Amino acid sequence: PRLYQIPLLRVYRKHDRSLQDTSAGHIMIYVCTDIMEDASRNTVSICPVRRIFFIFDFRNVFAWKSSRDAQNTSSNNGGTAPGWKLFGRLASKPPEQEPTTDLESGRLPESPASIRSTGSGSKRYEDIVASSSALILHNRPSNLPAKSQDEEQKHRQEYEQMVEAARKKELKEAKQRKKQLQRQLKVEEQLANAARIWNNEILPKWDLMKSSRKARDLWWQGIPPAVRGKVWKLAIGNDLNVTHQLYNICLSRAQERLKEVGDTETPQSGDNVDKEASMELIQLDIARTFPHLCIFQRGGPYYDILHCLLGAYVCYRPDVGYVQGMSFIAAVLILNLEAPDAFICFANLLNRPCHMAFFCLNQNLMNAYYAAYNDFFRENLPRLYCHFTESLLSADLYLLDWLYTVFAKAMPLDVACRVWDVFLRDGEEFLFKAALGVLHLNQEVLLKLDFIHGAQFLTKLPDDLAADQLFKSIESIHMNVGKQKFAEVLHTTST
Amino acid sequence: MNDTYPVPDEKLFKVLIVGDPTVGKTSFVQRYVQNTFRKDYKGTVGVDFALKVVRTSENQTVKLQLWDIAGQERFTWMTRVYYKDSHGCIIMFDLGKDNSLENIIKWKNDVDSKCKAPDGSPLPCILLANKCDLPDKQVTREELESFHKQHNFIGWTETSAKEGIMVNESMKFLMEIMLRRESNSTEPMSDSIRLDVPPPRTQGTGSQNEEN
Repeated sequence: PRLYQIPLLRVYRKHDRSLQDTSAGHIMIYVCTDIMEDASRNTVSICPVRRIFFIFDFRNVFAWKSSRDAQNTSSNNGGTAPGWKLFGRLASKPPEQEPTTDLESGRLPESPASIRSTGSGSKRYEDIVASSSALILHNRPSNLPAKSQDEEQKHRQEYEQMVEAARKKELKEAKQRKKQLQRQLKVEEQLANAARIWNNEILPKWDLMKSSRKARDLWWQGIPPAVRGKVWKLAIGNDLNVTHQLYNICLSRAQERLKEVGDTETPQSGDNVDKEASMELIQLDIARTFPHLCIFQRGGPYYDILHCLLGAYVCYRPDVGYVQGMSFIAAVLILNLEAPDAFICFANLLNRPCHMAFFCLNQNLMNAYYAAYNDFFRENLPRLYCHFTESLLSADLYLLDWLYTVFAKAMPLDVACRVWDVFLRDGEEFLFKAALGVLHLNQEVLLKLDFIHGAQFLTKLPDDLAADQLFKSIESIHMNVGKQKFAEVLHTTST
Repeated sequence: MNDTYPVPDEKLFKVLIVGDPTVGKTSFVQRYVQNTFRKDYKGTVGVDFALKVVRTSENQTVKLQLWDIAGQERFTWMTRVYYKDSHGCIIMFDLGKDNSLENIIKWKNDVDSKCKAPDGSPLPCILLANKCDLPDKQVTREELESFHKQHNFIGWTETSAKEGIMVNESMKFLMEIMLRRESNSTEPMSDSIRLDVPPPRTQGTGSQNEEN
């Protein structure tokens, strides 16, 4: 499940009397359409954004935290509702013009007001917070001069309009929530259906089914997380015949080595230094792998697993060692597979030609891949290719990062996983196709950016990158130059 | 209105930031560019890019293109591409690590052998001793003072990206040098931007002027 961070817009504190209302005796209406959440403050309430709360106050008991805010809005609205003061960020707009955060409201609590409070004030607070249906027109306090009949009539009408508007808005939002929920249910149902087909029809007859139209189509749509690990494992295969036993041997060696590194103060000479340095670097890098997930950091649930896997790999392939960027690939595998299987996949994946070339930093081969990529780039996106060439934004500056981490660092993780899906189906060619898909999708933006902004954009792609749009763009990329396919182009560029 | 103003003089400098992994290169860049510090940067693969625009006077702005280069040694063959057409360089190390100076020499040689300033002279390099907010220090100031001269750095200072100590000052120093080089100025440097007097080694919030 996704977590939504709700911005703290305004805090209402019951006992905050820093603002004393000056207009004694007036009916105070606080229009509260903001979300209020702050788990660290127990006295703060949480109100779903879709509700409007009218809070009546005759005696200035309640006050907003920010007096300036309140004064500004009250002066803005003073004219529209004579005798009433409207407070709140949105008070000057009709309720229909709520910000689009409403879309998220399907995930917010259903109750009109959830109160997170441990103090004794919570009960009293409940009394004053209610949904719009509880809006009450109070009679004018008796100590004030009576309104004229016209005025009385006008205010009554205004009141009725407000109630009506609020009711309409609630209906509308309820509809939107329902729609959103239905969409979500549909997606979940599709995923469940897909998982069923994978489990029942494809996985049991893998060799027979893996190239079938049905499997390929499902594959393109994104493998359901529930079966992703299984599919990946089968798709990556185990040409290297790495066994769980081998993993355990490498693991215990890695642990010995790490202990030695910790024990000996004096650095050794020659090749050993680099290997040990890369052992040490693993520790430093693990914490910097998907830091926002907070699970690979020291003390997190996957810290040890990631550490073990990378350490074991250094012992398994001392000639390759640890290269920065590997931690991202390992982490994505760990998120989908048990540790020994993740290791087997990791070893096999890195043994594929493209990744072997890049992680061994084989200069000639890397340049060949860049050159092949450039050929397809020019073929598919000539305008952008010219622009990049003119602004000196060369492929090695952003492609390295994408290839090293199979997009896991630059893209949102869920989108990256979908690229992984098809990469494991189609092989290394797809990495370049996906790269060009990213450029295709963002072509108009990129054409306007200079070198540094373009480079920044590409090394940190937008957080709201939509997988479906990206895959449409990827689909539009043709992986042939003239009659040559990717492998042939690569062959030409590498000789 | 705007078209009556002269087009401001805009300079573009490419600045490299190199040094061993996790000495704080990305943190330094983020502190300088955004004045923020986080504990959770993703490790750099290849290069990360950043841009800082500094208004140096009424009619001059300087754009600093910062190339934050991954620190793993085996990437060295690629650094030739990254170093191309640079104007200045920061070599950074972690004050708390003991083999730092050896590696600094490696980085300095790497930069000097692969790249020259546009006028053909060696690239102006400053040496930054980062993480000075931490108590454990492996290198003394006296060592650094002689070390930086011996290896032809144009200056050195202790910095703390975390606390924001000497971040803006060191960049300003490098920027002034690059501007002077470009205009072939022979005027003596103003005292305010000399770096060879390190900041007091006190812990704290730092006393630098924030450029917002």
